[in-house]
Amino acid sequence: MSAVAPTIEPNPLREGLEQERVPDASCLVIFGASGDLTHRKLLPALYSLAHDGLLPAGQTIIGFSRPDYTDEAFRMDVREACNKHARTRPVDDAVWENFAKGLFYVRGDFGDPGAYLRLKEKLAECDRTRGTGGRRIYYLAVPPNFFSTICEFLGAEGMVNDPERNGPFTRAIIEKPFGHDLESARELNRVAVSTFRERQVFRIDHYLGKETVQNLLVLRFANGIFEPFWNRQYIDHVQFTVAESIGVEKRGSYFDSAGITRDIVQNHLLQLVSLFAMEPPVAFEANAVRDEKVKVIRALREFPKGSENEFAVRGQYTAGSVLGEKAPGYLQEENVKPGSRTETFSALKLFVDNWRWADVPFYIRAGKRLPKRVTDISIHFRPAPYPLFNKGTTLRTQPNVLAIRIQPDEGISLKFDSKVPGPSVRTAPVSMEFRYATSFGAEPPEAYERLLLETMLGDSTLFARRDEVETAWAWLDPLLNAWAADTKGPDPYPAGTWGPDSADALIERDGRKWRRP
Amino acid sequence: MSDSDSDLDRAAAGEDLPVDYSSIEKSLADLWRGQKADDEHAVTRAALWNVVAHTATTNEHATASEVLGRASVAVPQRTIVIRADPSGDPHMASWISANCHLIGGGKQVCSEEISIVASGDRIHRVPPLVNALLIPDMPVAVWWIGDLPGEHENYVESLLEPADRLIVDSVHFDSPADLALISRIAERTTTAPADLNWVRLEEWRTATASVFDAPALRSRLKSIRRVRLIAGTSTDGESAYFGESVESLFFASWLSTQAGHHVDRDGRVEGQSGSIEYAFERRHQATDVGGIAFAEIVFDDGTCASISRDRDRGILTANVDGTVTTPESVTRAMGRGTDDLIVRMLKRPEGDRIFVKVISVAARMAKRVVS
Repeated sequence: MSAVAPTIEPNPLREGLEQERVPDASCLVIFGASGDLTHRKLLPALYSLAHDGLLPAGQTIIGFSRPDYTDEAFRMDVREACNKHARTRPVDDAVWENFAKGLFYVRGDFGDPGAYLRLKEKLAECDRTRGTGGRRIYYLAVPPNFFSTICEFLGAEGMVNDPERNGPFTRAIIEKPFGHDLESARELNRVAVSTFRERQVFRIDHYLGKETVQNLLVLRFANGIFEPFWNRQYIDHVQFTVAESIGVEKRGSYFDSAGITRDIVQNHLLQLVSLFAMEPPVAFEANAVRDEKVKVIRALREFPKGSENEFAVRGQYTAGSVLGEKAPGYLQEENVKPGSRTETFSALKLFVDNWRWADVPFYIRAGKRLPKRVTDISIHFRPAPYPLFNKGTTLRTQPNVLAIRIQPDEGISLKFDSKVPGPSVRTAPVSMEFRYATSFGAEPPEAYERLLLETMLGDSTLFARRDEVETAWAWLDPLLNAWAADTKGPDPYPAGTWGPDSADALIERDGRKWRRP
Repeated sequence: MSDSDSDLDRAAAGEDLPVDYSSIEKSLADLWRGQKADDEHAVTRAALWNVVAHTATTNEHATASEVLGRASVAVPQRTIVIRADPSGDPHMASWISANCHLIGGGKQVCSEEISIVASGDRIHRVPPLVNALLIPDMPVAVWWIGDLPGEHENYVESLLEPADRLIVDSVHFDSPADLALISRIAERTTTAPADLNWVRLEEWRTATASVFDAPALRSRLKSIRRVRLIAGTSTDGESAYFGESVESLFFASWLSTQAGHHVDRDGRVEGQSGSIEYAFERRHQATDVGGIAFAEIVFDDGTCASISRDRDRGILTANVDGTVTTPESVTRAMGRGTDDLIVRMLKRPEGDRIFVKVISVAARMAKRVVS
């Protein structure tokens, strides 16, 4: 029988405070501390948490990477990163003074055993001086090919505490991509769980840290009016769009080996689909929520072998202009292989084969160099059953559309028909809007702030579970394999347009149109 | 440009537009109707709350208007500022304006503000007028500025009748009876009381909670023997105004409530291992009048934890068994401007259940402060 960690009574003085949940101080080790993600997202997010008073006393951050920094040089580097990228910039001296005291640096290669010994010593020192009590969070902000090495060393050096035994927690945060296909995802997961238990692993999909994505659950399950029509009886179809106006930027090499379907659809878009379509969980608790999400992914209809292109199209941008600026074609981008057939756009028609969503098409699309940066979900309702109005005219009542804008300008709008003022009964569509910026004023926290805090608190509700990741790959792999075997390659589309003509054809075949987001 | 366009521009610029009090709603509707749908500098109306501020003087009126104008950036609202003078000649007037701010892309978000001035017997027309002006389905907060009234009971009751929240500032209270009145409102009506003084205390509560976050210290909550509090007051000693001691009174009441102590009707406190001594002291200071200057908690074994304000850095520091710390969670002084406090209060969708518990304890413990 496994030992159970002793429970500590909650602090009664925390009741009713804004900071009702405060994590215990821990050492957060960032592997890949000199990387872009660490500088642009992780350290600024940690600073903003400190600024908002959400970090516990003694919280310690240890950067681990190859460049030869001292603690002091690392702190200066962090301050510069926070001044550039933190939500709460510029850096506040009073907050910085305390925050900087908890920043340390250990130099080393991921494959150097001596580096792990130095890290171990530093961790022990922090336990003594900063009250971190042996609690550890390892953030693997490194390419997946280093996961195995880091995990093995952490395990071998006894730096991972088994949660089945009494003792302080150890958690590991893993960044996407969670594999390249089902096989590599399984291998990554095997590596992770050879050192950690599944409940110690926090797989970050930063979309889940966005306020509007979380609000999807609130919209559905905190409001009585939506759930009754959130099903096939009232919904005609649903569209999901993740559009980026930028190209591959400096990620040409990675992107060219992945493509938009692996980069966006397999994770972000399927997360949105599963949150949108899931059944109400029995509780707002990690496994209850993730159980329901994975059921949706399991219910995704397989692509019919040999007819994949009836349900999926892919595109690649050619030279054009975006937001008035000239944009090169994908093949002219830096670090992209000549003649590459990697898709920069994909649009899929998918079905969730279950009682609630039978035969309701979900059209999803993601692309680079599209006319603007926008992520949204639009729910298109069935039209009124009988056209009572606008007789003798060419006007038609419009189906209602509930649109959920994830980014930017987060909000929700509902389109419905209204009578046009005047003696005759003519109708016209109007929109009722809710915008976060208008109603709540304050800027929402960055996704990484929320996710880092949740990791410290040990709540994995907003993280992907192993079976979610593997089920998603299992569904997507046949399509990716079919595309790889297809000599035709992606359809071209000029930069600054909404994808190739074949994407329009995909939805127009069904008598529907893409909504302009 | 039409007349209504220019009215909207003037209102959005913060100008007061006099209107007949019997047609305020219509005047507001006319104002917004002037907004063109395709206006590239679109102005949007927004409201999450109805906030009614009750004032008695021109100065209070101006302050309320200014504070709520700033607060509306974070919490869009329909603001109704009332200035009532029961002793003046019968008179009534009203005007409208808008509190607007840019949200990017040249777009402005505006909160409507209505001012109603009434004197003499006309003040009794104010509550029904206010009732008619409240936006339906939005919560209502009544901010009562100054000490609570001891007369015109019907007027006060009808003004509070639609209120979900009553906002007061107990730093202005002149006697423990005011605390008892707030406690009765909490017990007997559906209006949840809220106190700016209680919100000011959050910084101290957070700092104190941080001290007891450490598991080793948490168990010591059960062995509190003595609590000593020093309030910053505008005068020395016994002559200090009652309201200036309320923040420390709330702190003591909160600590007792959350630590599970029993406070009897005379304000005596019993813990698990006997009576607990509470000492309320006052210290004259030029700034932060009414705030806590120092808190000390002594345990059964003679050890103690104290919290004090580091004035140079504007932060609270904790001293536990001789070790001074400035926990990250309290390094930044929380905003103490009235608009900051109101925003924090209105951002809580529900009434503060801890405050409701604390206020009734504070009403009993107040005898210790004034005696």
